[in-house]
Amino acid sequence: MYDMLAALINGTLGWGWPEWALNLLSYILVVTIVLVVAPLQMLFFTYYERRVIARMQDRVGPNRVGPEGIWQPIADGVKMFTKEDIVPQAADRIVHFLAPCVVVAPTVLMFAVVPWGPGMVPVDLPTGLLFFFAISSISAVGLMMAGWASNNKFSLLGAMRAVAQMVSYEIPAVLSLIAIVIVVGSLSINDIIAYQTGLIVSNRDLPGIPDLGLGWFVFTPVGFVAFIAFFIAALAEGERTPFDIPEADSEIVAGYMTEYSGMKFGLFYLAQYVLNFLLCAITAIIFFGGWQGPGVGWLYAQGITPENPNGNGLFNVLAGVLGVFYFLLKTYLFFFVMVWLRGALPRLRIDQLMDFGWKFLIPLTLANLFSAALWVAFTRWGPAEGMLITVGWSPVLRWLAAFVVTLAINLGVYLWLTRVYAASQAERRRAELEELIAAGS
Amino acid sequence: MEVVVQVVFGLIALFILVAAAMVVSVRNVIHSALWLIACFFGVGALYLLLQAEFLAVVQVLVYVGAVSVLILFAIMLTRQISGEGVRQLTSRWPVVLVVTVLLFATVMAPTLINQQWNVPPAPPLGTPEPIAGPAELGRGFVNEFLIQFQVVGVLLTVALIGAIVIAFEERARRRRVLTLAEELELKRLRERATQTETPEPVEAEPVARETRPASEG
Repeated sequence: MYDMLAALINGTLGWGWPEWALNLLSYILVVTIVLVVAPLQMLFFTYYERRVIARMQDRVGPNRVGPEGIWQPIADGVKMFTKEDIVPQAADRIVHFLAPCVVVAPTVLMFAVVPWGPGMVPVDLPTGLLFFFAISSISAVGLMMAGWASNNKFSLLGAMRAVAQMVSYEIPAVLSLIAIVIVVGSLSINDIIAYQTGLIVSNRDLPGIPDLGLGWFVFTPVGFVAFIAFFIAALAEGERTPFDIPEADSEIVAGYMTEYSGMKFGLFYLAQYVLNFLLCAITAIIFFGGWQGPGVGWLYAQGITPENPNGNGLFNVLAGVLGVFYFLLKTYLFFFVMVWLRGALPRLRIDQLMDFGWKFLIPLTLANLFSAALWVAFTRWGPAEGMLITVGWSPVLRWLAAFVVTLAINLGVYLWLTRVYAASQAERRRAELEELIAAGS
Repeated sequence: MEVVVQVVFGLIALFILVAAAMVVSVRNVIHSALWLIACFFGVGALYLLLQAEFLAVVQVLVYVGAVSVLILFAIMLTRQISGEGVRQLTSRWPVVLVVTVLLFATVMAPTLINQQWNVPPAPPLGTPEPIAGPAELGRGFVNEFLIQFQVVGVLLTVALIGAIVIAFEERARRRRVLTLAEELELKRLRERATQTETPEPVEAEPVARETRPASEG
């Protein structure tokens, strides 16, 4: 943003602004864009989800406000704003008021590190991925505040469930991302995207592969297992339907949101959909190349970049448009999958949720971490690091060896874990039934 | 620039101190936990001011995201959250004050006396970064500070196992509330048992038990 503004104001218009003014203006613009885009995505997502789930349930969905009901979210927003704000008398007023803010603020902050296209990242932090997850964990505090301050047992139960679920599923989510971080060797989201050039095979692993922007991590065994584990964990973090235990309407009204009305409820709603968008986006970025796709890399190379200052600015715009198109396409596709799962699966019980997270996903992601280390060892290490087997191998052979070894490990661990997990669940079920019979007779 | 940094440092330090003071002086336990979270945030901001970006992010991840949530969880299990009618100070608080000041002084005095207060000049451009990034930290953990790292790991594992041992409950001694599905299964099992063992229908007693309302689940 700064480069663009500098080129426009001091170059084209020739106003000669000082550096700090340009910096200030560029950051104000970036913040404005982030703050505007987040609610817009949420509005679109509510409409999208309602239409898709309606189609799956053989209904029509909202179709009255505007063409095909496209203005329905805005009508809902107006409704939210005009509703009365009710605070229970026994509530802790200050904490009750602060809770929605503490839930919304991190989700908007997470937008700051999401890259939309080549060179289109609001803030490129060297520890962007870690920042993303650190900030997302703050909203657990907000949920706890909401549940406790409402002074309602359903709220408190919902908050407890939400926080327990978020804390447990943060571990497999982060572990599966660490595998990718090991392969890339960087926590910067931009570096992770830059790694995924190539065609099926990443350019960095096998130099010489044509760059079509399709060297996604999901095509490697390490990335595939990480993707599955991460997406399941993302469903739990975003409280999407097989894991919507915290707001199970049939059990505990609306969970931690029970005592909220009007725009405070709207803020929770906003936070939830923004979080869902971000989780889909980060899945697309980490495992499906983000804005990478056929043509973007080539277009961007023709434009103005730090390496190529004499390029044509038009190509920057084209690359940006195409990149944003690919990125949003992937993101919306993942949200479609989330809605699809909501239409297909019933809610889990809380003990099933905890068992699956702790006894299946975490061991699987830990084994995947080991595979990721082997991947790096096979593709990149030499005698200096103590990797003596691969001396003299060609890059193709090294890549193939890495692929086969990691595939064998991941597949073996997966099959073994499913058997162990199924056996332990069956054993537990048997023990419970025996107990039941003993108690009943 | 120096002045700006010092003003910002002063503000953050003031915020941390106020938050820390609130933690120990507020009556409501939940409020004090929330002030503690504010205090953690302030420390994270201090790390950012020192350009230790990774540490700042980890501070937020570990302390705000995990530790404080666990503290909140623990508080929810206690009674007297509002803390009304609870004495906050013991009757011998002056003694405690003197002891703590003395202890703090023994820690601080050597630093204050031996410190030359010569702020070193900024290193020339191009000097390698001190330990700040994740890669340097990781290398430090597996080379230079391996023993300490392992000891801390063992300590945490011990704490984890201890927590499990304390919380573990024998399956037989646990009282369970049956779900509807389990009630149904139980009923089916009993029916099968009665059919195989006693062919003559003596069903008055078991039926009466089985048809009790299954609403507990």
